[in-house]
Amino acid sequence: MNTECVAMLLAGGQGSRLGSLTFNNAKPAVLFGGKYRIIDFPLSNCMNSDIDVVGVLTQYRPYILNNYIGDGSAWALDQVQGGVHILPPYMGQKGGRWYSGTADAIYQNLDFIDRFDPEYVLILSGDHIYKMDYSKMLAFHKEKEADLTIAVMDVPWEDAHRFGIVNTDEEHCIKEFQEKPEHPKSNKASMGIYIFTWKDLKKALLDDAGNRESEHDFGHNVIPMLHESGKRIYAYPYSGYWRDVGTVQSYYDANMDLLDTNCDFDLSDRNFRVFSNNTSRHPQFIGSQAKISNGLICDGCIIFGKVENSILSHDVVIHKKTSLKNVIVHTGAIIEDGAILENCIVGARARIKGDARYITDPADTAPEIHVINN
Amino acid sequence: MKKVAGLILNVDGEDDSLKDFLQHRSLSTLPFGGRYRLIDFTLSNMVNSGLSHIGVIGSHKYSSLVDHLGTGKEWSLSRKTQDLSILSGSNNYHIGRLIKVSLRNLQNNRGFLDATGAEHVLIATPNLVTTFDFRNAYDIHLKNDSDITLVFKKDDPLYHLRDNDLYLEFTKNRVSGLHYKREQTTGHFFTEMFFVKKSILVDLLDLSERTGDWDLMDIIKHNIDTLQVFGAQHSGYIKRVNCLENYMKTSMDLLDYKVMHELFMGKNSIHTKIKDNHPTLYNDPAQVCNSIVGSGCIIDGTINHSIIFRDTQMNVGSHIQNSIIMQRCEIGRNVNLNYVVMDKDTKISDHTTLVGKPHAPIVLKKGTVI
Repeated sequence: MNTECVAMLLAGGQGSRLGSLTFNNAKPAVLFGGKYRIIDFPLSNCMNSDIDVVGVLTQYRPYILNNYIGDGSAWALDQVQGGVHILPPYMGQKGGRWYSGTADAIYQNLDFIDRFDPEYVLILSGDHIYKMDYSKMLAFHKEKEADLTIAVMDVPWEDAHRFGIVNTDEEHCIKEFQEKPEHPKSNKASMGIYIFTWKDLKKALLDDAGNRESEHDFGHNVIPMLHESGKRIYAYPYSGYWRDVGTVQSYYDANMDLLDTNCDFDLSDRNFRVFSNNTSRHPQFIGSQAKISNGLICDGCIIFGKVENSILSHDVVIHKKTSLKNVIVHTGAIIEDGAILENCIVGARARIKGDARYITDPADTAPEIHVINN
Repeated sequence: MKKVAGLILNVDGEDDSLKDFLQHRSLSTLPFGGRYRLIDFTLSNMVNSGLSHIGVIGSHKYSSLVDHLGTGKEWSLSRKTQDLSILSGSNNYHIGRLIKVSLRNLQNNRGFLDATGAEHVLIATPNLVTTFDFRNAYDIHLKNDSDITLVFKKDDPLYHLRDNDLYLEFTKNRVSGLHYKREQTTGHFFTEMFFVKKSILVDLLDLSERTGDWDLMDIIKHNIDTLQVFGAQHSGYIKRVNCLENYMKTSMDLLDYKVMHELFMGKNSIHTKIKDNHPTLYNDPAQVCNSIVGSGCIIDGTINHSIIFRDTQMNVGSHIQNSIIMQRCEIGRNVNLNYVVMDKDTKISDHTTLVGKPHAPIVLKKGTVI
């Protein structure tokens, strides 16, 4: 079997900075934009890029994630040879162990990748909201005859210290890496998307696995090692919407971008669709006293109250005399008569009592976002 | 229910008022309730009652039915143990009159009946809006060792019964007479759902082959004394969609939360074809109340007392009330619609006003551009 490019999606992270949103759920399976889960974005990108072999590396709280991915048919990844494969840590003849780093997770699945005998391997993570045609990046990788290509984007200079920064020459060849630098020399930030030429990656992973000092991380160990050994590493410039949703605040802000008509991230674009694993639900029921302005609302919702600038996932019930403003409500939550909520995230299946008051000072332009679960 | 095969009939040609919607589809796939097709109710009721072999008789306008049902996956009917068959239909007309349950349709599909290995057949029409658990009716059917068990309902003036609809007459609990409405009413009407023993059905098919009488209900009516016929009562919400007026009324019934709740929020859900749509986006100028809205819409206007299907776009300054807007319609700016039914893919340009009447809404055919 020969496949030109296999995608490996790192989906084992806990995402502890998302607080209670990941208590029972792996970060890639956290809901986003109402009906989506974060992993829909890289999986849909694969589909839109004609990549049809995807290994999903899972570790932390995988049940919802595994169940959600299913046979991959939601992303047209249910083809007979290839398709989506869920890859948890496993036992071998000499025992087994957890994935101890991003590179180790791939190292433990060398056999899986070899089955497809690819030329290239695309490494993705399940932490980011963006649309990207990876086939263009692959064409760039081939054109540059690179051993490794890293997708980068320009970030505001004042934020550059929070990212892995690369310095390149005019041909996009990477000359230097700076990990979260105090004094960044450029504002080109790594997006955590890598295309490796498989034979180079395989050798690097075998070398890295033998290195006791290594933390087996792509960013910290494997890529610097390749750089030092003089491999051809290129930066693929991406411009477009891309958000890391690793913290409650960044997760909240990226959701709210969907309600911003000036934001160029468009879920309704038919030329580059984002797919998700849908189940059948009744349409939205909007009662005679309901008032909705600026909302993103999913099937199965029942609304009798006031909803302003908010995002409602599936099966949310908003009773009468309620008021929601700047709120994200996850699947199946019930907001009882009289509750007033502002600037918060309501967790899946939470039941918010009618006397609940989460009200923020209108003068506070950046109120802290509470996550309510019960 | 393992011994029961389901059979969903085709009922085209009952009424001319829906003809604008039925040029490219049969009544079974008429869009309904923001995201459904009429057949979803009968099909889901059968699946939710535990049937695993279901045949759907199509009309000569097949493509919409095949496109909608596909492999039956959404109804869990594409498993090795459960299946969906799309069967061929024949012309429903008999010279001069309409046959409710045509044995000719069943005769064409003897292969389906023979292959299922079922002992009983549950036959129903595809244009009933209801959630009904057939298991109670099946228990009655088995307990009485019935040949035929008819699902009936107490007379209801809102049901729009016609002259050729049937009423049941009971002696004790056995059905001792069937009467067309034009002959006699009894307070209990037949809902067009019934169980029949397969052996009896096969006998009746052979009989009709010899006599040339293809009207199953007529044959049952004339043989009511020799057949063991019982009734099972339906006590919930049920409406039949067979003309424009009751399509409109039944659709608007959904805006009553009690009806919506009974149909869609009980323990069994109504399944339909799944589409990948983004959630519906209500922009700042939108004002929506007392309505049902599908996913994938982008709404900038005012909507009241209406049903909006998936992927509809509605621009600023437009008002919709008392209307049904089917999938993928585009409504321009400053449009006013009242009592309008728009079929799929219809476009309305800026500054258009269309006002129909409650009993005679304006109908826009699929793909109309105004």
